[in-house]
Amino acid sequence: MTAVAKALPGRRSLRAWIPAGRVALAVAFFALWQMGSEMLGKEWLPGPVLTCERIWSLVMTGQLARDTLVTFGEAALGMAIGGIGGALLPFLLRLSPRLMKALEPFLMAAFGVPKLALAPLFILWLGIGMPTKVVFVASIVFFLMFYNGMAGVLSIDPRLVAMARVAGAKHWVISREIVWNTTMPFLFAGLKIALPRSLSGAVVGEFIAADAGLGWYINNSRSLNDTTGVLAGVVVVTTLVILVNAALQKTQVRALAWRPMSRDMTI
Amino acid sequence: MNAASPTLEVRSLAKRFPPRNGQAEAPWILADLDFSVATDEFLTMVGPSGAGKTTLLNIIAQVDAASGGEITFRGEAMNPVSGTLKPGWGCQIGYVTQDDNLLPWRTLIDNVTFPLRVQGRLDDAAMERVTTLMRTVNLVGFERYYPHELSGGMRKRASLIRTLAYDPPIILMDEPFGAVDAQTRTALQQDLLRLWNLGRKTIIFVTHDIGEAIALGDRCLVLSRSPAKVVAEHRITIKRPRDLSNVYKLEGFGDLYELVRKELL
Repeated sequence: MTAVAKALPGRRSLRAWIPAGRVALAVAFFALWQMGSEMLGKEWLPGPVLTCERIWSLVMTGQLARDTLVTFGEAALGMAIGGIGGALLPFLLRLSPRLMKALEPFLMAAFGVPKLALAPLFILWLGIGMPTKVVFVASIVFFLMFYNGMAGVLSIDPRLVAMARVAGAKHWVISREIVWNTTMPFLFAGLKIALPRSLSGAVVGEFIAADAGLGWYINNSRSLNDTTGVLAGVVVVTTLVILVNAALQKTQVRALAWRPMSRDMTI
Repeated sequence: MNAASPTLEVRSLAKRFPPRNGQAEAPWILADLDFSVATDEFLTMVGPSGAGKTTLLNIIAQVDAASGGEITFRGEAMNPVSGTLKPGWGCQIGYVTQDDNLLPWRTLIDNVTFPLRVQGRLDDAAMERVTTLMRTVNLVGFERYYPHELSGGMRKRASLIRTLAYDPPIILMDEPFGAVDAQTRTALQQDLLRLWNLGRKTIIFVTHDIGEAIALGDRCLVLSRSPAKVVAEHRITIKRPRDLSNVYKLEGFGDLYELVRKELL
């Protein structure tokens, strides 16, 4: 604690209230949810207790692990293909400004195509299995990563490049040292959007056509009028997104320790 | 090479940038600029803001192309107009720019050793030289700090010794102490003179500060407003080592200051 913080008597006790406030908010949220359930009837809005019971039974039967693995696998593969491709393309385009200019309108047009509208085509091509969802996720996250990466590559400080060249740095060193380090914060900003999108993309893909996965489970529960199942699925997907975000946040803090602002928003 | 032979010669150098929209012809930034620097000479150039001083150094450092003229470096033509640019001329020309241009993602020590590392010359002897330089400019203890955690003066000193550490035969300096307060500036100037005395080398130091130009240099060129031309040349006879805290009281400083001030009007 700094000297200033010590000197201010009110500060410390105020800070101690934050975790307590969070717990109070969470309790209020679950209480409201339970109350809503009692008022509307549990067929319409199952309460937190019922939802947790369902999740627990899904854990016991092993269905949760299976469906989570399917959805997570689709999202991860989609990220690996689309995300890495989208992140690397700006580095290649940087090597040729002319190619960049030539490709620009096509990339803009491709970005404009609603990926959801392409889903039926993916199903016709690839069937209802995992590849359809992987391609669907990849087509979404590719552009998110590409545009962030591109913004990073375009923000390179030419003065740093000039300094490095005068100091004797060759092309490869400049790419690795300056281009890569300048772009990294932008790629993290891209990941912050793309990772949750990859999961929700996989879930939405499973709504349309699937025989496994969390999206399939949610949609299947809907067709059986099983509101508890729908809500249980949503809670599991949400938890998954929160976990992925927390992991990303940890990595980012470590990778970008050099930045003046280490107090990024965690949302 | 003896001390009087020119290391670098600039002949009828000219520069203008491409015209802007609606402009028939862009103005000349440099026109008919001639001068030379001797080996181990500390040459200062003083000129008003916007005289084209940075443009001149960019051309000598081969970061930017010239529109006309010739530059000879150690008897070799640099071909600044049509040839492909070779920034730093194979690590022979060091350049301390106006901004410190430290890599924000590298610690202080990694920034200082950056040129040595990319040149593959970071051995024990080089590391020892870096340590000596760090001590001379009072940066010991801050090796592991990132640039944004350091003061402006410290960043300046780091960028100065980054270039000195790899020991290029000639160093260009573009108002390296422009953005720091007066006390820090005097300290930095004293550091620079001390370092220059330790291992003499050719320096071209550009500034708009008349006092700085006289206090540091062996010879001072006065530049006109853009397009820059050499309007006067003064040999500075104030004897070394100079104590910069009272250089203003030294024999001949005041008269020379007045003279240069009038030439700049």
